[in-house]
Amino acid sequence: MHRYRLPLALMVVGGLVLCGTRPLAAQSSDGFFPYEIHKRTLENGLDVIVIPMLEFENVLSYNTLILAGARNETEPGKSGLAHLFEHIQFRHMWQGKPQGYEEAMSRMGAFNNAWTWFDVTFYHPVTFASNLNQLASLEADRFTSLKFTEEVFVTEAGTVLGEYRNSAADPGMRMDEVQLAEMYGSHGYGHTTMGYLEDVEDLPNEFKAAIGFYNTYYRPNNVVMVIAGDVGPAGVFELVESLYGSWEPGLISEQPDPEAVGGPKQAHVDWEVPVPPRITVSYKMPAHRTGTAETAVGQLLPELLVSETAPLYKKLRYEEQLVQGMGMGKAVYESFDDGHLDIGCVLFQDRFASEGEAYFERIVEEVQKAADDLTAFSSRPDAGTLLRDLKSKYRYDMLAGLNSPAATAQTFVLYYRFERDPAVMDKLVASVEVLEPGDIDLFASTYLVPANRVVVTMNGPAGGQR
Amino acid sequence: MKHIKENSCRRFARLVPAGFALALVAFAQVCAVPQKAGAQEIATLEAPSPLVQIRIMVKAGSAHDPEGKEGLAYMTARLILAGSYGRPNRPVTKEAMAELTRPWGGGALPGVRVDKESTTFMMTVPREVFDTYMNQVLEPMLGRPLFDEGELDRIRSEVLTYVGSSLRNENLEMLGLEALDNYIYAGTGRGHLVYGSVQGLKAITREDIRRFCVTYYSPDNVLIGLGSSDRAVRDAVTGAVRGMGSLRGVEAFEASRPGRPALVQGREMTIVAMPNSPAAVIQLGFPLPLLRSDADFWPLWVANVWLGTHRDSYSHLYEVIRQERGYNYGDYSYIEHFASRPAYLFPPFNTPRTSQYFCAWIRPITHEYVAHITKATLWEIERLIKEGLTPEQVESAKNKAKVLYLNYAETSDRLLAARVDDLFYGMTPGTPEGYLDGYLGRIDAVTAEEVNAAIRRYLQVDNVKILVVTDETQARALADQVLAGGPAWAKLPGDYQIAVTEEEGRRFYHVPEDRLDTIRLEAAWAYYPLQLEQDRVRVVPVSALFETGAFVTVPPDGR
Repeated sequence: MHRYRLPLALMVVGGLVLCGTRPLAAQSSDGFFPYEIHKRTLENGLDVIVIPMLEFENVLSYNTLILAGARNETEPGKSGLAHLFEHIQFRHMWQGKPQGYEEAMSRMGAFNNAWTWFDVTFYHPVTFASNLNQLASLEADRFTSLKFTEEVFVTEAGTVLGEYRNSAADPGMRMDEVQLAEMYGSHGYGHTTMGYLEDVEDLPNEFKAAIGFYNTYYRPNNVVMVIAGDVGPAGVFELVESLYGSWEPGLISEQPDPEAVGGPKQAHVDWEVPVPPRITVSYKMPAHRTGTAETAVGQLLPELLVSETAPLYKKLRYEEQLVQGMGMGKAVYESFDDGHLDIGCVLFQDRFASEGEAYFERIVEEVQKAADDLTAFSSRPDAGTLLRDLKSKYRYDMLAGLNSPAATAQTFVLYYRFERDPAVMDKLVASVEVLEPGDIDLFASTYLVPANRVVVTMNGPAGGQR
Repeated sequence: MKHIKENSCRRFARLVPAGFALALVAFAQVCAVPQKAGAQEIATLEAPSPLVQIRIMVKAGSAHDPEGKEGLAYMTARLILAGSYGRPNRPVTKEAMAELTRPWGGGALPGVRVDKESTTFMMTVPREVFDTYMNQVLEPMLGRPLFDEGELDRIRSEVLTYVGSSLRNENLEMLGLEALDNYIYAGTGRGHLVYGSVQGLKAITREDIRRFCVTYYSPDNVLIGLGSSDRAVRDAVTGAVRGMGSLRGVEAFEASRPGRPALVQGREMTIVAMPNSPAAVIQLGFPLPLLRSDADFWPLWVANVWLGTHRDSYSHLYEVIRQERGYNYGDYSYIEHFASRPAYLFPPFNTPRTSQYFCAWIRPITHEYVAHITKATLWEIERLIKEGLTPEQVESAKNKAKVLYLNYAETSDRLLAARVDDLFYGMTPGTPEGYLDGYLGRIDAVTAEEVNAAIRRYLQVDNVKILVVTDETQARALADQVLAGGPAWAKLPGDYQIAVTEEEGRRFYHVPEDRLDTIRLEAAWAYYPLQLEQDRVRVVPVSALFETGAFVTVPPDGR
């Protein structure tokens, strides 16, 4: 069990200890995060964070992070419920009226959207700060007292199926489905947030299961709120407490750890139309733990592997022109349980037509070689200066990303959720600052190994067109 | 490029009465925006960040590609970034530039956005290394580009794969959006992809790129945006652009002026037949003689917020097609081009155009529903024209429009980018004349009468280009269906859980009271006449798109 969850009683004590409005970030030794952070935990376990960003005049970013996503869909035949609930939340019958919530939001004026991922579902309306009281009332009402009809449920299930079909035109989604199944089997990470097609098609018949999902996971002790922008902490905690205080906490069960991959594994997707072949080389990664060297190395991996300056990227993209594009993202391994690192490459049709499977094998060899090279990172003559440059870049990049209340709130809460530590950003950046070259060696030799590897390949009909 | 500057001046003159212009000049002096240094116009944004943003917009894009060389503007921009710079015997390669800029953050590696009338380079530089950056990166990259031949071949190969294969076969929605953007401008310099055409890309030589650079990349053809009003920053950047386009011994092209799109006469439909398409998309539109710098823009903007706000559940098309009937994932409309739509929730800046069009975007639907939903879209636009909006609807849409500002102006990057566009449109950034700077005030000032007048003046459904992408096995049947005329239904009574009984040979539909309006509207859509004439409907294979500068290229065998 990688997800740390304090017993409720302890959380109440923690809430009392942390009540108050002292600027915690200002006390950190690093001082990276440029804004003050104010935190209060309500008695029902709801964490409330306020980040004043007063230079964004009259802007309010009001965020609710539910700590449940595709990972929590472990019952066979019930995948896709977290994503469906993201839709249902917008159909809340505020004041008993169909469309009541959306009409009220519309009258007030807000940009209102949400997304679902493996671990979380994130609701992130933005409005003018002068609407704070009204927005808080509407949001509290839908999260604490959601009302919707079965008819609405069926309509939204149809919409979700449409969304699935839309995504299904992209071979990347099918590759993700195959790759996740190979890597995680029946663990919640074994399917995409969209769910299995047969489950999505059956969603209209899963009204009761959906209610069960909601009752289990939409609980205050499973939620973090972040309010950022032209607001101060004064009055905000009291407002939230008055609106969310009666929300009943629940018992959140732990999820089992994923099993070992048992790699190397390889799977293939045949596509029906002529598209450039693709390959994804994936490694299972350790779960995210702020402050550890493993997690800190993970922060630098995109730079080490697929940036314009990475040896692997330069070789595949430019020197040998084996790929026309490659990339990876951290979001799939900044996760409660063991995540995965995906190096995705788009290949050339004409080369595949002449070389066939050997082309795929060559890419796998090159990626594994790059991973193997990282096991000896510290023996590079420039290891020290290179690591220094990467740390500098990481810091500037993180800073550049904090360019709006919404972006700042999201970045903060996605790291905060792991240990619920207000100083998480400073600690994360500090953990990268203290990395030594040997930490990269150790990481690569532990995780970037064939036993942890899943490869998925895809190509269309032979003789693709230009 | 001289004409471009004249155009810009004329546009500005048209918008600002003489007396007011004098007052503006005085105001601009107080505010010190926009600033002029040498020939460049500069927009600034004061931000407290230790990082300084830079945007350099060249007022040329794919609309300036010579015929048969479609893709030249795009390839020139990519080669500026990737084709090495400096001394030929000691070039700074793209790899070396990436190494050099890496410690300064990912934003320090220059990026570029190319559109039909502009090419914008962008970067974010830590203030503490600013001078080093100017000397080692920006000035030599712009002033001494080497346009490496190997990089030309490599990038060309990638772009050809995208245009010739990925775009045609992989992404239904992007295909439809790009195709409409060409369809509207068919027959003009704007009528091909920003990336170029398959044949055009193959024809581009290194010398073409050097000539394009000399013709359009000159210090007096750029607009600059700076995330600092520091004089030293301004001097450094204007100094860096001073050497642009000064390649020796290169003959300039005759500078081209992108033509205006011809007005559409009547309705026409192009059906793009895609192999194995899982669904169909509909795009329709017509040229719109209106820019954001025109006074009528704002009331029409409010009207369009009501009709079809992008990727939002607020608007009317979304409400009647998706929300009430579940036909698809979303339905939107636009009065300005919105680049890379599927990927962005809000329009990126730095794709300004002197010619815009209205369009509606219907996201993927079942193939068999195309005729019905095409009728629905036109019917709903026509209803808006006939009925207008009530004062309450206008107030609601104004409220929504103001909320959009929160996203449009969300980051300091966007604020600066919008100010560069202000320079392009002849609007004064940093004052209430600016697009974002004046946005909330402009919306507040819009009246219901102005909105309805703008709807009547600019929207119409009689002269429209309709583009459908559907599966190749469905395309011909669709053409036959729309040419045959007659009602076109989509969802059936069973889809709305309506019981059907028969008595004495007559069929009875038992429609619950609360579904009557839903069904009536379906019927109104079904019976709406598409009025497509025989010679105005064509089916084209996807391979006929993007092949040359023409909207549709007929294969040599005439198929």
